[in-house]
Amino acid sequence: MSDIKPQSDSILKKRLRKFKSMKRGYYSFILICTLYVLSFLNPILVNNQALIVSYEGNTFFPAVSSLFKPIFDTPNYEGKQFGQTEVFGKTLFGEPNYRELQKQFEKEGKGNWVLMPIYPYSPVENLLSEISSEPPTAPDSKHIFGTDNRGRDVFARLAYGFQISISFAILVTIFAYSIGISIGATLGYFGGKVDIFGQRIIEVFSGIPFLFMMMILVSFVKPSFLLLGAMLVFIGGWIGMTYFVRGEFYREKAKDYVSAAISIGTTDLNVMFKHILPNALTPVITFAPFAIVGYISSLVALDFLGFGLAPPTPSWGELISQGTQDIRYWWLIVSPLIAMFFTLITIIFIGEGIREAFDPKVYSRLR
Amino acid sequence: MSDNNILLKVRDLKVKFPIMGGIFQKKVAEVRAVDGVSFDVMKAETLGIVGESGCGKSTLGKALINVLRLTAPGVEISGEVLLEKDGSYIDLLKLNKKEMSIYRPDIQMIFQDPFSSLNPRMLVGEIIQEPLDINTKLSKAEKRDKVAWLLEKVGLSAEQSSRYPHEFSGGQRQRIGIARALATNPRLIIADEPVSALDVSIQAQVINLMMDLQEEFNLSFMFIAHDLSVVEHISSRIGVMYLGNLVEIGSSDNVNDSPKHPYTQSLLSAVPIPDPKSKENRKRIVLQGDVPSPLAKPSGCGFRTRCFIVKPECANGVPPLDEKAKNHFAACPYTE
Ligand SMILES: Nc1ncnc2c1ncn2[C@@H]1O[C@H](COP(=O)(O)OP(=O)(O)O)[C@@H](O)[C@H]1O
Ligand SMILES: [Mg+2]
Repeated sequence: MSDIKPQSDSILKKRLRKFKSMKRGYYSFILICTLYVLSFLNPILVNNQALIVSYEGNTFFPAVSSLFKPIFDTPNYEGKQFGQTEVFGKTLFGEPNYRELQKQFEKEGKGNWVLMPIYPYSPVENLLSEISSEPPTAPDSKHIFGTDNRGRDVFARLAYGFQISISFAILVTIFAYSIGISIGATLGYFGGKVDIFGQRIIEVFSGIPFLFMMMILVSFVKPSFLLLGAMLVFIGGWIGMTYFVRGEFYREKAKDYVSAAISIGTTDLNVMFKHILPNALTPVITFAPFAIVGYISSLVALDFLGFGLAPPTPSWGELISQGTQDIRYWWLIVSPLIAMFFTLITIIFIGEGIREAFDPKVYSRLR
Repeated sequence: MSDNNILLKVRDLKVKFPIMGGIFQKKVAEVRAVDGVSFDVMKAETLGIVGESGCGKSTLGKALINVLRLTAPGVEISGEVLLEKDGSYIDLLKLNKKEMSIYRPDIQMIFQDPFSSLNPRMLVGEIIQEPLDINTKLSKAEKRDKVAWLLEKVGLSAEQSSRYPHEFSGGQRQRIGIARALATNPRLIIADEPVSALDVSIQAQVINLMMDLQEEFNLSFMFIAHDLSVVEHISSRIGVMYLGNLVEIGSSDNVNDSPKHPYTQSLLSAVPIPDPKSKENRKRIVLQGDVPSPLAKPSGCGFRTRCFIVKPECANGVPPLDEKAKNHFAACPYTE
């Protein structure tokens, strides 16, 4: 027989293949994923702690050790452990300054050495005693994007801010989607009184002025990463997906495969999530990259206004707001804007690719 | 026709779909898709149900498998659907979800549209296995064997269970639907125009398959069609629907040879007759006008706007089914 195919392709597999064939979106996807994965290595790529210290025949791993601090009880290192008692003419207490330690070891020439990360500055480290003039300082060979008004390295803050922005947006999207899908599926599937009641609640929440509500909430608690995400979802992030999914469920449940599933005795939960949901996912998946873009922008905006993450969290919005205070410090505006523009445009390329792969009809109509 | 031969008794079944409108999304009108239908389905018989498209046949079928409450928002269903179980009759419409799940395997449906009736995201094997997962305690291997056996019963091969529905033709999809229906060991299968979406060349194959299965498994069949010619050869009895009402029901021969209701008479006069002897008895009756919208059903007899023997009294009330001959009922007081 001629139709011996080794494996049948599900609709999802086909669409993923289609997505791969869309070069711009696919490469953007690979790029963002690589950068995002790399950003988890920030502590050993962009950090003021040494990767390796070799001192009097012993080897220490300060960066790795503080990376695992939250999980294991790893040791703290102090300057005097490595014979560093003084930096910039001041007595040193506590943590060593590894960059200076490196110079010190070289000068001493006793065979001790320090290996620093590629970019040896941390996003929260105050560099006041190292920089040439009053902060903020303009980009130079050491600080490629300059320093901010507290003397912190801008590039390091951007790099850590990238990870925080994307993680935040993904987390909020997952939050909003889980709530939106559960509520939307329930309203759309059961209909009737449940639906009417649910819609009234949605209307109430749509009426909440987002920014004012955010201001009020933030005045009570300076939110952590998770709390800020939960607030964004609660105040209104869940509504869009709820409407989407409700509509899809409404449409899908009239189709005969749903009648068939009910008639063989499938439980409501299985009809909803095993039968209907996979068929209602197209708008959900298609919309996700744009939701992520939206939440990255929201975080930048909230940080800019001062209603975002608590300082000293590295944040793009906070840098921009510093820059707007004095236009001479152009690098404080330009560098976060470039980072943001690059990130958002890349994710939008991904979104376009996904949309064309999942919803070709709509896409060709738009063209 | 002794009483315990009856598998399903349908009594005064009504299904109304609300039409929502206006700013407040209030009910502004209703579609009386099924408007007081009563009939019986005997054990191991094939009952043909015929009627023009839009007369409520699919709605009747879906009301019998009791899915409308979930799939059609706001639907109003009344009447009785009595299923025989161990000698007594249970009204399916009065059961809650959990109680209903006990009786679901007994009545299965094959749907009109072979494209929307199979979940496009599931493998054929998963589709056919799901009823087994829910209603049996078979082991994994036993289920796999049963799926293969079912696929072979409907003329497909076991290897095809790892394919997706979109890889099949309409006729094959309908076979998959038949296998899914068989998987629950049903006692009644409602086949809703199962071949109307298929090429003429494969219609006969699918119909023959169903008739073979009926014989093998001793099933009752309710075979819905919009055209008498499809059902007259395979049905022992035929019911004729018009605008949500059953206007005539009787044995296949009686309905074909001596139709009592004017609507059935007009339907049959449109059918080309191969037998020249009976031709003389049949005048060609051409109905005037179109089927009225179910939103604006005429009062009294639904057929009176197009009837050729209409009387002023026809507007007064819906005529009940009268026994015109033995076991041959028609809902018109003005015919013999
Ligand atoms: N879910 C629904 N909501 C509203 N109206 C419906 C629904 N299903 C069917 N109808 C209406 O009920 C009538 C009968 O439809 P149907 O049972 O599909 O007819 P048939 O199968 O005989 O062609 C039609 O007028 C149709 O528009
Ligand atoms: Mg129909």
